[in-house]
Amino acid sequence: MSWIRKGELTLIERLSANILKAGPMPKHVAFIMDGNRRYARKLHVERQQGHTQGFDKLAETLRWCLNLEIREVTVYAFSIENFKRAKDEVDGLMELARQKFSRLLDEQEDLEKHGVCIRVLGDLTLLPLDIQKLIAQAVLATKNHNKCFLNVCFAYTSRHEITNAVKEAAWGVEQGLIKPCDVSEFLLDECLYTSNSPDPDLLIRTSGEVRLSDFLLWQTTYSCLVFQSILWPEYSFWNLCEAILQYQLNHHALQKARDLHAEARVLQQLEADRCCAAELLQQTGLGKPLDPQLRQQAVQKYTAEREGRVHSFLTALQEKRDRFFTDLNKGFVASAKA
Amino acid sequence: MAVVYEFMWRMLHALLHLQRTILSWFRISIWNWNWRLWRRAVATVLVPAVFGFQNHTHNNKKLVPGGGKKSCGRVRWKSDGKSLEKLPLHVGLLIAEEEPRYTDIANLVVWCMAVGISYVSVYDNQGIFRRNNSRLMDEILKQQQELLGLDSLKYSVEFLNNSNDKPEQQVLSCQATVKVLSPDDGKPGIVKAAQKFCQLVEQQQQRSADLDVNMLDSLLRGTKGMPDPDLVMKFGTVDSTLGFLPWHIRLTEIISLPSHINITYEDFFSALKCYAGCEQRLGK
Repeated sequence: MSWIRKGELTLIERLSANILKAGPMPKHVAFIMDGNRRYARKLHVERQQGHTQGFDKLAETLRWCLNLEIREVTVYAFSIENFKRAKDEVDGLMELARQKFSRLLDEQEDLEKHGVCIRVLGDLTLLPLDIQKLIAQAVLATKNHNKCFLNVCFAYTSRHEITNAVKEAAWGVEQGLIKPCDVSEFLLDECLYTSNSPDPDLLIRTSGEVRLSDFLLWQTTYSCLVFQSILWPEYSFWNLCEAILQYQLNHHALQKARDLHAEARVLQQLEADRCCAAELLQQTGLGKPLDPQLRQQAVQKYTAEREGRVHSFLTALQEKRDRFFTDLNKGFVASAKA
Repeated sequence: MAVVYEFMWRMLHALLHLQRTILSWFRISIWNWNWRLWRRAVATVLVPAVFGFQNHTHNNKKLVPGGGKKSCGRVRWKSDGKSLEKLPLHVGLLIAEEEPRYTDIANLVVWCMAVGISYVSVYDNQGIFRRNNSRLMDEILKQQQELLGLDSLKYSVEFLNNSNDKPEQQVLSCQATVKVLSPDDGKPGIVKAAQKFCQLVEQQQQRSADLDVNMLDSLLRGTKGMPDPDLVMKFGTVDSTLGFLPWHIRLTEIISLPSHINITYEDFFSALKCYAGCEQRLGK
């Protein structure tokens, strides 16, 4: 497969991997693959070469992740901000994407054999139509694979993603599927592009920069952040091991913080449900029942109704999302036949 | 075989914890010494070659703190701020440690003011500072008096209370704004803004398709919003933002320091120097 390099670990790499795997391992790792252009400058080659090497390094890293049993990887391939770059660089990156996605479609058998599910996250409408169609094909072809998951953030920024999630919730309100007070952290989680993935356990950024650059801001609130100074095309298996070690050192503290946040979230939702149930009772003229049991029943009834509304909304949202890809694919198939 | 690997894993982690403990012991007990020389010596001896954790190239933004003498130049602080290529407008102090020390945090806030930083926010992921807001404010005012002395009248602080957007203390000339933050200002804040927008949609004052990044940004910021943090100084050994203002930190530089306990002005200023050296390409 062109996206996942063939090969196995050397003996010493395998030994190190086995030692690491004795401890807690991240199940989902996110990469900000930074440093391609600086690498090209360093080697005195064209920028485009830097990006191509960067892709090759991605394929190698995905191989290492599979060897380490890391089943889900998310990568920041192209930011909406990157459209600001020089036209020839943007065109070069689009051409690279075109090649790589087309190649992917030729390898469907391999993808099926290895159970690779490809998802592309971002505002795909900003991309050239032919690339959108290639992406749609790749996503639909691998939709039901479930052994490992690769999420490619393309034409993506986290703020756009969060804004889009709020827009979807507002669409749900417009359609009469949900009420404004149904909007919660859980609902927004499900409206993000990453709704089918757990939050990343580990975020790695290469090239020495120490910022998130609008990548997975919502999802990485309790992730282990590792900033490494190596340039992305020079990334090695040992750099990955170092990052995982860092994750293991932070594991306990982060788990504690995550649990605290989850507890707080549950309490906040309960409190919100209590308020809404009380408001509803007041509106229906029954006032606040003095019997705590009746109050409790009212809250439980409200919670069940809320969860029902949210469930219908999320089903409708999933259908809307699927339609986007199938419509693109129909267009692709039609134009291929023509 | 699995038992062997597990044993080796435990040994590896024991070594790493030992390394951490030794470094932190050095930091506490030798803070008077000329740290830079010691830092390199200690690092060469203790850091295993394969794992370049405490990488002391200027690229790595994890600082091993310096000792250094206790500084006493208020005039120096202002000129220090001016000497930097760029100074952050808003600094976030992220205390990722279990037990906060109010005096040290107050020192950090006052140093921020003294070098010319206009906005400072203080955050911990358990909401401790939020619950002890007045205690922190009192400590800041006390340290302001102690560290800035006669000059403290020139440096005035505005504390932003989160519940209503009115400042806690009105002063004649505002030079710095301090805000205390908790996880409630993060994702729950975004949820509140989302609910606000959805209410407008329900009342047919807006359409869902009208929402864009700028609109959501203004809904989040409210009337007395601070600018996005340019720099977050993270204190403690936890490598995470722990829920600190997710929306606002999209371009924020995150510089880690081992601890806020007994933090010196030199360590604080090194972090600012690190920030001044960062280059932001903004996607280009």
